Amino acid sequence: MRVTQHTVMRAAQQNLQHSKTELAKLQERAASLDKISRPSDDPIGTSDSMQVRAAQQQNDQYARNLTNGAGWLSSVDSALSTATDLMHQVRDLTVQGANSGSLSPAAKEAIAVELEGLRDELLNTANTQYLGRTIFAGTSDQGVAFNADLTFNGSGAGVERRVDAHTTVRVDVDGSAVFGVGATSVFAVIDNIVDDLRTGTNIGPRLTDLDTHLNALLGQHGAAGARHAQILRAEETNMERSGSLEAQRSGIEDVDLGEVVLQLKLQEVTYQSALAVTARVLQPTLMDFLR
Amino acid sequence: MSTFSGLNTAYTALIAARRGLDVVGQNIANATTEGYTRQRVTTSSVGSVAQVGPLSATVQVGQGVSVDGIARLGNIFLDARVQESAATSGYWAVRANTMSALEMGLQEPGENGISAGLQQFWAGWQDLANRPGESAPAGILLEKAGVLTSQIASGYQAVDTQWTQLRSQLSGMATELNDAASQVAELNGQIREAKANGSSVNELLDHRGLLTTTISALSGASVRHLDDGTAEVLIAGNAIVSGDTFRPIAVLGSAHLAGSATDPVRLEWAHRPGATVSLDAGEMAGAISMLAPPAGGTGGALAEAAEQYNLFATELATAVNAVHSTGYTAGGATGLDFFAIDPDPSVPAALGLSVIPTDVGGLATATAGAGPRDGSNADAIAALGTGDSAPDNVWSSFVTRTGMAARSDMQQAVLGELAASAAVSNQLSHASVDLDEENINMLTHQVAYQGAARVMTAIDEMLDTLINRTGIVGR
Repeated sequence: MRVTQHTVMRAAQQNLQHSKTELAKLQERAASLDKISRPSDDPIGTSDSMQVRAAQQQNDQYARNLTNGAGWLSSVDSALSTATDLMHQVRDLTVQGANSGSLSPAAKEAIAVELEGLRDELLNTANTQYLGRTIFAGTSDQGVAFNADLTFNGSGAGVERRVDAHTTVRVDVDGSAVFGVGATSVFAVIDNIVDDLRTGTNIGPRLTDLDTHLNALLGQHGAAGARHAQILRAEETNMERSGSLEAQRSGIEDVDLGEVVLQLKLQEVTYQSALAVTARVLQPTLMDFLR
Repeated sequence: MSTFSGLNTAYTALIAARRGLDVVGQNIANATTEGYTRQRVTTSSVGSVAQVGPLSATVQVGQGVSVDGIARLGNIFLDARVQESAATSGYWAVRANTMSALEMGLQEPGENGISAGLQQFWAGWQDLANRPGESAPAGILLEKAGVLTSQIASGYQAVDTQWTQLRSQLSGMATELNDAASQVAELNGQIREAKANGSSVNELLDHRGLLTTTISALSGASVRHLDDGTAEVLIAGNAIVSGDTFRPIAVLGSAHLAGSATDPVRLEWAHRPGATVSLDAGEMAGAISMLAPPAGGTGGALAEAAEQYNLFATELATAVNAVHSTGYTAGGATGLDFFAIDPDPSVPAALGLSVIPTDVGGLATATAGAGPRDGSNADAIAALGTGDSAPDNVWSSFVTRTGMAARSDMQQAVLGELAASAAVSNQLSHASVDLDEENINMLTHQVAYQGAARVMTAIDEMLDTLINRTGIVGR
């Protein structure tokens, strides 16, 4: 093949252009640290990357759900603990008041007044709110779980939080199961005890009613505790999953910094030597040697 | 043979050497001219004059050198290779550029793409499921839904704009093609005339070669050289240039993406309305293939992309509405849609997609009978983002297919570019001017001139001896 200045220059220019293109590509890659900057760089990788990003976003959302659910269950837990304490105090006072022989009417009245206070406190506890929602009334939008006439506002449906794609956890407790409703509720029982104390009736038999309610309370507390533990376990799983998803995303999208810097350096050297060689080759013609 | 014929022989040599130097000068002057093909002076020796008579038996010498012409050292086969590869390379280059712009417009993978917007939208529903009936998460959800619809609309509009730009580029290319073809026709006439006169047509041929390469790169035309020096340029078997006549090509069809399905973009012969020109290579063929109407996945890439935006918008609206309409708002209303699509068929679904609810009161977050603060329907809508039938999959498969198509077109473009570059290198290696070679030719002609001049001097001295010194011996 015939070689002329024109073809030599053209080849040199093409080589330089090629070298510079490679250099620019590596520079972009090193600067952005992205392996995939457009879908055609790696169509399969793009699809994987979109899936992993979606999974990450979902996982973040589940983490938010879990935080919210844990808040609900903590409130439920502390409310139920308070209620249990109050119930124990009520039971102690009832036992004290049942000693019908040794108590003066004034002492009975004192117990009755204290019981009334405890009952109001218990009703307040039953109407505990978390972020503006009553935690014992399910999906109701009324401000309280129990009205003053002891009717229950709960809808019967629970408040659920999604902890992963397939699982939801109930984060509230049905107030009617804990405290009872209307005439059979724990508040009505305490009201009856107070009435009995004032009328002088023996309140000993009421202890059975109290114990039934206390057991119901403890049973619900245990169930809520188990769900709380489930949420905490889910939080750990969520955290691990978050780490592994980030590792996957990074594996798909990010370049190895050391590798790309090395390649960049190598390409720089290639480009510089191409420049040097070109400068040397293009200079001489026969005219330089003719007189 | 006359006494003075030697002087004439030397004179022809002087002329040949000078003509040779002139051609070297022309070559060096055009060493960097695009499309210039190197030239050589062609000479032949002149035989002796036929002799008759008594002295004819003596040995006869030739009569010098004659300059026959100036040869153009081109190669029509290499030129044809350049034209053919320019057509292929042009076709793929236009496709690759279009696909590259299209996929850049997707902004995937990343935080600004529709995929991310969609994930945010699902997350918004989940947040609302945690706090149903509250205005803060509802406001965030509605804002995210608004962002998503505007992302879809602007994605569609980007494709629409790209289509319109490519369409006007195609018109520009057709103008360029007609312009080049009319120049070729004019040059054909000049060349035929000059050739008949016997004058040199080399520079005209160079010029015509450049123009035919342009025509081939645009339209994939092939060139046939005829005996009278004219070139016939054929597009899809029909002559756009024949002799000194040329027939223009016109671009017809819709100027907007929306109308391209019923009035596809096409090329026609201006003198025969209705006769479609179907190109199989060249930049214009690439542009037409990209501008083609949608055909169930095998149509033009831009129209198909626009269809995918519409399909995605429709799927999203259908999927969300199907769940949303079964739910109940905090106020107890049911059967409400979340997305609306403009029923006007002239408005594409991607542009006509809008969000109906304006505040928390219009969001059906609860399922039937589960209480006003129930979020399970919102949770069900959020769950649309997972699973096999998720609208996300429509989008992600579109992105993957676009990436694949762009990748293959770009690879073809690189291959086409390499082939075109190799063809041009071959052509140049044959046709381009080499300065070393020209220097040597220059020296050769220079020395030849000196030699001829010396011959003339020698003959002159000989004649001087014969005329002025003969017969003066012993004076």
